This record gives sequence, C-alpha cells and structure tokens, in this order.
Amino acid sequence: MMDSMIIGKYVPGTSLVHRLDPRTKLITIFLFVCIVFLANNVQTYALLGLFTIGVVSLTRVPFSFLMKGLKPIIWIVLFTFLLHILMTHEGPIIFQIGFFKVYEGGLVQGIFISLRFVYLILITTLLTLTTTPIEITDGMEQLLNPLKKLKLPVHELALMMSISLRFIPTLMEETDKIMKAQMARGVDFTSGPVKERVKAIVPLLVPLFVSAFKRAEELAVAMEARGYQGGEGRTKYRKLVWTGKDTSVIVSLIVLAALLFFLRA
Amino acid sequence: MKVKKLVVVSMLSSIAFVLMLLNFPFPGLPDYLKIDFSDVPAIIAILIYGPLAGIAVEAIKNVLQYIIQGSMAGVPVGQVANFIAGTLFILPTAFLFKKLNSAKGLAVSLLLGTAAMTILMSILNYVLILPAYTWFLHSPALSDSALKTAVVAGILPFNMIKGIVITVVFSLIFIKLKPWIEQQRSAHIH
Repeated sequence: MMDSMIIGKYVPGTSLVHRLDPRTKLITIFLFVCIVFLANNVQTYALLGLFTIGVVSLTRVPFSFLMKGLKPIIWIVLFTFLLHILMTHEGPIIFQIGFFKVYEGGLVQGIFISLRFVYLILITTLLTLTTTPIEITDGMEQLLNPLKKLKLPVHELALMMSISLRFIPTLMEETDKIMKAQMARGVDFTSGPVKERVKAIVPLLVPLFVSAFKRAEELAVAMEARGYQGGEGRTKYRKLVWTGKDTSVIVSLIVLAALLFFLRA
Repeated sequence: MKVKKLVVVSMLSSIAFVLMLLNFPFPGLPDYLKIDFSDVPAIIAILIYGPLAGIAVEAIKNVLQYIIQGSMAGVPVGQVANFIAGTLFILPTAFLFKKLNSAKGLAVSLLLGTAAMTILMSILNYVLILPAYTWFLHSPALSDSALKTAVVAGILPFNMIKGIVITVVFSLIFIKLKPWIEQQRSAHIH
C-alpha cells in the first residue's frame, strides 16, 4: 500500500531551473505570489501568462507531470469560474437562456481569476518538481539565518529536517513491513469502520516507535563519535553557490513587477 | 545527550510525516477534513522531552509536508492550520501530565487538549483560516452564513472527533509503552 504513495514530486533534470540556487527559487515564489495580485487587465494577465509559460518550458519537466499537479485543483478552478459567471452582474448581458444570464463582467472576472489561479499553481509546483527536499531545506536554513539573532535555533531545526528527510523512506518501508505482517494476520487498514481502524493502528505504532528509538540511539552515537558539536564551525558537504543566473532571475522578477505596475489599469 | 534528543525528535517527525500519509476521511464529514494519527509522535516527544520537543515535531512534520507534497494554493495555509491545531492539542498534556502521572491523567489532559483545539480552531477558522483560503485561492469570499455553516458542520465536529480518536488511540498505546517511555525519560534526565 505504501508504494502507491510516491515520496515527493521531484523530477530529476539538468535544466536552468533545476540548477538555480534553492534560495533563488524560494525568493522567486514569494515574490511571484505577491506580484500576481498586480494583474487586473488583459495586458497584465497576458504578460504573466508569457512569464509562466516561459518558466515552465525552461524546466523541461514533461507536461504530464504538471497536469498531475493541476488535476486536483481543476474542479476548484471550474467552480470559481462558474461562481463568477453566476454572481458578478456587471456590464452588458452577453447571452441569456431563460433565467440564466451571463454578464460580460462576470465572464471576464471568471477568466481572470481562473488564470491567476493556474499561474500560481504552476509556478509554486515547479519548486517541488525541480528541487529536491534536501536542497529546499538547505535553502531555508540559509534564508532563515538572520533569525539566529532572535535565538531561533535555525541550524538545529535544519539538521532535524535533514535527518527526518533521510529517514522517511526507511520508516515508510518499516511501516509497510509491519502493516503487511499485520495484514497477514487478517488486519484491515484500508477500509472498515473507524473503530476497527483505531484498533488496527495500535499494533502498528508500538513497534514503529520502539525501532525508531533504536535507530535514533545508533545515529546519535555515530554523530558523537564523529565529533558533532552543533552548528558553530561546521563545514558543509552540499554548498549553495549564488551565481549570475540567480541574480538575473531576481532582476527579471523585479522587471516583471515594474512592467505589471505600468500596464495595470 | 543533546544530540540524542535532536535525533529522536527528528525520527518522531519522520514517523509523524508517514502517519500523515495514512489519513482517512471520517464518515459524514467533508472530504477535505481528514483524520490522521500524526499527533501521536508529538505527544510522545512531549512526554519524554517536554513541550518544545512536541512543538518541534508538529512544526517539522508540516514543513516536510509542504516541501515534499507542496500546497494546493501555493501558500501553506493548510499546513499552518494543522500546526496550530496540533500544538493546541498537545500543549495541555505538557503541563498537566507532570501532575497527573497516570494513564487516567493522560486521558484527562488529552481531552482538555481536544477541547482547547476544538474551541480555538473553530474561532480561528471563522476569523482567519477559511477567509485566508478563499483569499489565496482568489475565489469570492464566503458569506457570513456560509462561513458559520462550514465551521459548525465541518471544523467543529472534525476537531472534536479527531481529538477524541487520538485520545483513545494514545491511551491504548500508552498502556503498552508506559514503562518504555519512563525509561527513555529517566535516561534523558540523568
């Protein structure tokens, strides 16, 4: 049952977007989420569309992967679109079937909002599609570094994230093993009333915790034996390098924001 | 000793993440409200290492969920809501359990956590989380009555049922794991 759940959505590749610094991608997403709100007429939405298509084609991620990300939200997009068509009564009536009237304002608003939604989803899913979780963790650690001054244990949190990431596949495998062992004894995890599920989960959790603690003990001893003593003066295996590509991406976003600002109604 | 605490909290977060994947909808509640047992590792972290460790498990679990699975609206609204709910649920245990050191005391403090989570999450959803969802999804804002129905028919029973189910599961687990948890805790203190 566990193998049907793919861990993560990362698609390996060597495109420009794959090679960008994770910090750049995180900053880009943050800026993009803010910038999208600037669009309010045909020109600005077209410009954002061009930008989105450009970025998506740069990643060279197969189209089917993107569609997989869009699938669950397609209904929400359609729902929002219909809601706008039915609720917004602005401008002239375009066509009318009995009670059902479609106003120009409603249609335009519906299309705009749906487009904005699709842009947002496409750009934000690109992060998980082109960046490994461990890279995102490294990027977050670097970006949050200033918070160390506020006594936030940034290094410890990032280390814990990396350890967690490393052990998720191991623990999934172990969960799967225990589940199969229980299923062989006739336990049903996937269906049945809640009471049965609750009963089934107990013999799954107890061995999972005990074995995770054993692993933790071994890892802690191994880390201490290698002289781990916190973030101070620790060197890194994976180094983040900020290059000209990253600077130009940030600059192009600022240009995009400026263009949107001038073109918006 | 500090290294071990770090590693154990990470492992518990991984377990929480895996348990999050094994979620299921509760019959009769909206599909987007799913019950999972990912708060159980956080409670164990609290019992062994105290409140901060529990909050760390809740936080790491949600950040992992965001960077691995992404978020529907691009902005981690659901993850933030889950973090707040989980923290509200486990915190009473952190402060009460020391005084009522027994399986019964644990159940009492978890039910208290259920009450705290149910009440505060209903209020938060009404004033903040649901409006944030519609705002980030750019759909028209929900009307006041629609918001109230969503909270009263969805969020409120959901958090209550989730709290009670986890309380039951954890009490069952606790009976089996009590000596082991105590051993881990004393190993941490000494």
